[in-house]
Amino acid sequence: MEFGIFTVGDVTPDPTTGRTPTEAERIQAMVTIAKKAEEVGLDVFATGEHHNPPFVPSSPTTMLGFLAAQTSTLKLSTSTTLITTNDPVKIAEDFAMLQHLSAGRVDLMMGRGNTGPVYPWFGQDIREGINLAVENYHLLRRLWREEVVDWSGKFRTPLQGFTSTPRPLDGVPPFVWHGSIRSTEIAEQAAFYGDGFFHNNIFWPLRHTRQMVQLYRERYEHHGHGRADQAIVGLGGQVFMRENSQDAVREFRPYFDEAPVYGHGPSMEDFTTQTPLTVGSPQQVIERYLTMRDAVGDYQRQLFLMDHAGLPLKTVLEQLDMLGEQVVPVLRKEFDALRPAGVPAHAPTHAELIAAGDDSANAHVLPSVTVQQAATDDALQMKEA
Amino acid sequence: MTQRIVAVTAGLSVPSSTRLLTDRIVSATRELASARGDQVQVGRGHELQIDVVELRDLAQDIAAHLVTRFPSDGLAQVLEDVSTADGLIVVTPTFAGSYSGLFKSFFDLVEPTALAGTPVLLAATGGTARHSLMLDHAMRPLFAYLQAEPLATGVFAATDDFADPGLGRRIERAARQLVAAVGPNSRTIYPTAASEAVPARQDAGRDDLGPVPDFRDLLFGKV
Repeated sequence: MEFGIFTVGDVTPDPTTGRTPTEAERIQAMVTIAKKAEEVGLDVFATGEHHNPPFVPSSPTTMLGFLAAQTSTLKLSTSTTLITTNDPVKIAEDFAMLQHLSAGRVDLMMGRGNTGPVYPWFGQDIREGINLAVENYHLLRRLWREEVVDWSGKFRTPLQGFTSTPRPLDGVPPFVWHGSIRSTEIAEQAAFYGDGFFHNNIFWPLRHTRQMVQLYRERYEHHGHGRADQAIVGLGGQVFMRENSQDAVREFRPYFDEAPVYGHGPSMEDFTTQTPLTVGSPQQVIERYLTMRDAVGDYQRQLFLMDHAGLPLKTVLEQLDMLGEQVVPVLRKEFDALRPAGVPAHAPTHAELIAAGDDSANAHVLPSVTVQQAATDDALQMKEA
Repeated sequence: MTQRIVAVTAGLSVPSSTRLLTDRIVSATRELASARGDQVQVGRGHELQIDVVELRDLAQDIAAHLVTRFPSDGLAQVLEDVSTADGLIVVTPTFAGSYSGLFKSFFDLVEPTALAGTPVLLAATGGTARHSLMLDHAMRPLFAYLQAEPLATGVFAATDDFADPGLGRRIERAARQLVAAVGPNSRTIYPTAASEAVPARQDAGRDDLGPVPDFRDLLFGKV
């Protein structure tokens, strides 16, 4: 099981002091937080991508490339990379470069974004969101797996004899997740290719998460990548801890009440009941997150949102200490003990993808079942003709 | 078989004149349905159930849903009841020349096509009759957007109307249209345009998600 943190990169005033960090401070804080994640034994750091204030991470591979040089074991990822408004050619190039610089410590998560105006800012039409995700991602898969690409589609200038450089490290493209909260098409897309599916459930009740993951698992099996319980699932999470749970509640409440997204909405008590947000002792966090497995089955990646709503850096680093020292080792041990044989413990690493070679769904543009089926369909048509 | 009508009422005080109007429409509908139950309107062997939803009781849940984007369990049940009703009675006070913010906020949370073809009895209260056209200028376009079928007769009750027998007649006319519209086969079935059709599968256990397309169709366009 992989544990890590994901960040939105918001620049939010600390409601207890009224002080807003500068962009420079926030960016440096994100770097410090990522390095701390490795230090306390977490596996993954993922950054969001945003193109409007109050968010700073518009350029994820720049940040992740810097972190690649400052860390040695941390997997560098995204949450999410906008497959709708980024040019798939540039995604192919940027993340292949990051693979080389990080010696393969990279995977990435496709998303459609949650800020409507980003579409027109990047010359796209939001009504085509799903179609952009479908077409752009398929092109991205081809650019990483085919040396020379001839391509034409609806949304991008055609390519003739195009080679995306650098080629993926060791000829193995990075593992891809697809993040979606409500769109069943995206769960289906992840299942079709045999990619990972991440449900960012931090603002959603578990009953919804369960259904989305179940859909992905069923379709993963349907598309011929293995059993439903072998599909690669990731979940979001959000916690605030102190040794004494009442201290956690008292300290976090002003941040909750003023937080972007849910601030000035439901009470913290209601929100912690309805969503994975857990405010309390490390033991309470452990108990709560063990129940995630009951809802979605054995899963491979758990990311926590730890550094938002104006929490000071010092507090975030204390939280990471508790997460790494008290929570994750217990969750890791419990989940490992419960996981049946044959169910992956984590998303495939670069080394594992190399070792799997052609056996890995990640090696192919299209799933082999679909290719075989298409061949059968053609044969049938020829026979009938 | 039971036909189900939900009355959504958005009065703010307790008791409110909006709730008063709602109750009069509900009882008129009930009487008409039972009086004619064996004949035309509802059909033989069909019963009519009418549930009343007070939006005031859901005000905090509605606000929380707007900012968190998911409903509390109680609100989720009400949205489901409204979305699957055979007919609706919707009643709002007139605020600033239109429906109240609470009323609009609730209908903002209904899935855009969930009310397609649903007969809707439009009703509103207001201080004076000068606001009565809000039924047609504000409420009717809202339910047209939601692809519902607003009945021809709307009921507007200014304060003075509560002492006027004319209000009772309008209520009866509107209720009659509602009962006629809420027959066993009344809900208009809209054929989906071929261009909008997505091959759908529905699997047990995740009904909330609705139909799911096959990715091969999305990718290769074999629709």
